Amino acid sequence: MAPIEAANIMEPCLDKTRHIKYWTRCIKTFLPHQYTSNDSNRMYLAFLMLSALDLLGVLTTTCSTEERRDYANWIYRCQHPRGGFRMWPGTDLGERANESNAKWDPANVPATYFALASLLILGDDFGRVRRKDTLRWLRRMQREDGSFGETHVDGQLAGGRDPRFGYCATGVRWMLRGSRKEGRLMVDGDQVEDINVDALVECIRNAESYDGGIADQSLHEPHAGYTFCSLGALRFMNRLPTSSTKPTDTRRAPSNPQEVIRWLAHRQTDLLDPDATQDSEFIGAHRIKNSQPVPPSQSATEPPPLTLHQSPDKSIITPFDLHTDGAAGMNGRPNKTADTCYAWWVGASLHILGQPALYNQQAMSRYLLDKTQHPVLGGFGKFPGDLPDLYHSCLGLAALALAGGGGDVKEVDAGMCVSKEASVRLEALWKRWDDEEISR
Amino acid sequence: MGRYSDDPAWADIIPLPTDEGGPNPLAAIAYDDEYAEAMSYLRAVMAANEFSPRILDLTEDLIDMNPAHYTVWLYRAQCLFALKSDLHAELAWLNATALEHQKNYQIWHHRMLVVDVLDSCEGEREFVSRMFELDAKNYHVWSYRQWLVRRFGLWEQGELEFTRDLIEKDVRNNSAWNHRWYVVNGREEREEGEAGGVVGDAAVREREMEFAMQAIEKAPQNQSSWGYLRGIVRKAGLPLQGCKAFVQRFASLEQPDEVRSSYALDFMAEILAEEKGSEQQAALALDMLAQKYDPVRRNYWEYRKGLLGVDAVAA
Repeated sequence: MAPIEAANIMEPCLDKTRHIKYWTRCIKTFLPHQYTSNDSNRMYLAFLMLSALDLLGVLTTTCSTEERRDYANWIYRCQHPRGGFRMWPGTDLGERANESNAKWDPANVPATYFALASLLILGDDFGRVRRKDTLRWLRRMQREDGSFGETHVDGQLAGGRDPRFGYCATGVRWMLRGSRKEGRLMVDGDQVEDINVDALVECIRNAESYDGGIADQSLHEPHAGYTFCSLGALRFMNRLPTSSTKPTDTRRAPSNPQEVIRWLAHRQTDLLDPDATQDSEFIGAHRIKNSQPVPPSQSATEPPPLTLHQSPDKSIITPFDLHTDGAAGMNGRPNKTADTCYAWWVGASLHILGQPALYNQQAMSRYLLDKTQHPVLGGFGKFPGDLPDLYHSCLGLAALALAGGGGDVKEVDAGMCVSKEASVRLEALWKRWDDEEISR
Repeated sequence: MGRYSDDPAWADIIPLPTDEGGPNPLAAIAYDDEYAEAMSYLRAVMAANEFSPRILDLTEDLIDMNPAHYTVWLYRAQCLFALKSDLHAELAWLNATALEHQKNYQIWHHRMLVVDVLDSCEGEREFVSRMFELDAKNYHVWSYRQWLVRRFGLWEQGELEFTRDLIEKDVRNNSAWNHRWYVVNGREEREEGEAGGVVGDAAVREREMEFAMQAIEKAPQNQSSWGYLRGIVRKAGLPLQGCKAFVQRFASLEQPDEVRSSYALDFMAEILAEEKGSEQQAALALDMLAQKYDPVRRNYWEYRKGLLGVDAVAA
């Protein structure tokens, strides 16, 4: 029995070889047809692939210099002649493009963010980026209320008012303006006006919920993804609270960081089975008394006895027991199941707020490595037992990198989901632009 | 050999294929032939700015394969309005599409455009309820419902009862709790300056606190109901002490082995932290959370203890 016990206490580890295989297959061959519904998100898929390969430290060994040059060329091929980027070449009308049909081929805010971040990962120097046009276009993507839209078609700003677009827009602004002060900026000898930073901050403050999380808009349900996007945007704008900020200071957000931290800390959960209708935070009394670990073969098919759970008045709290299993992932909203991607959205949010130790990184790593890492294909699925996909595989990896990654993954920039090695390259680009304006 | 190339109705169109621009395009997908063909026809008709009934067929076909295509929806909407198409038929089609692509958000945005033009929400809440039978926490659907309530002023037309029913069905449905907050407090926010909701109307506040407390009695270990109760107290700026007697029934420091809810214990820690001279007891409550009742968040509870500023005293 000794070997089994030894296996039980062994920490699960990242199967790096399989992850590299998974990502290599994704980037070098056609994605399966199931991705057709994401055809209009290809720049985003490209970002996930490049970032994951870079985090694994194999981008430059897996992909040749020529391939990486071709990738950068494809990204630039998606650049819009009037600034910004498209999600994919599919809207470009090519030789039939003219003034009257130009509206059907707009630049797109998330596409622009993912294009620039991807170029950064590839080590591109932004030399072909239409920086001035892009920053001017970006201003037109903001609404009166401060929120950003997704794309501009025929005089109409399309897309919801949620902070995903605000996050991407401020990320573009950050990459193309650098750490400069707010306001007017000289680009290629011309003045470029800034976005309305105050209005976007106000928008985020309005979306803070009664229970501490941040929603897509005022009074809606808070959500970990929107919370990350809001905090990330505030970081890009340098508008997070400082130690001396008062809650009434409308130039900064969130108004009460302790409430946000509290909400984020509560996202960690051992509720792992999406098909269970019960909340596993409750376990019947007899289960606690007989806290024998369920053999893996049995636990895979039969849920543990949870009948008392159905009767909430008889239910009691489960002491979370690190010795029996100890896996706890993150959910996106209260009373929801853990899901791989929220390990990133929640973990990164706490890192952005300067509180990386306030979640249980060990339990989260066990959740990812033991439950959602795919044992054969590599990558991560959304829920335990799921097949891997690009989105969950990249965010799972990045979440592990945030939690230390077992030393096997590069350090990750919590605000951008790219390696710190990549994000730090921005500083040289910003310095070059500064020098160019001075010598002009 | 294709759905469009073989169809005489499309014979006048010269399809326009995608140009990837060079070798090794990123995230290339192994499309089915029918998708590639439909896309090449879409580009051709967009290039010609065509608005005709066949565009509705083509966009319907494409949306079914790629509902995330951001300009195809706008193209379809412009076409619908230009042709003065039957918008009720559009809603019927959207119903089927929404049921098939539950995670897509463009569908709901398009629905807003159509319902806004129709200027009637007849049947809408019924359809949304059907969506909730499949997933009672679908974020896009809740956003749409909240838009409906505001757009058509449905604040007092059964929405509160609707949240009551959903919460009765699943007391841990946080989306339903949040919608209740929206219905109770959303209207006041619209009519600025007017008192109301849990902040401005004492009767409403009492009613909502009572509602949360009853739900807590039913299932004490529930983040949603405790969050709702605590949210009311905080937003209204009431002293936390007012809840002490109630909270004590679920988490009493005198009976450390009988705690029935970690959320109650957390609330108790906050109440004690607010009381003068009870910081040590607050620290004890946080210790109980860290060690026994919620150890997965041990670091967070230790952090909270640090905020009390009693560590030195305790040591």
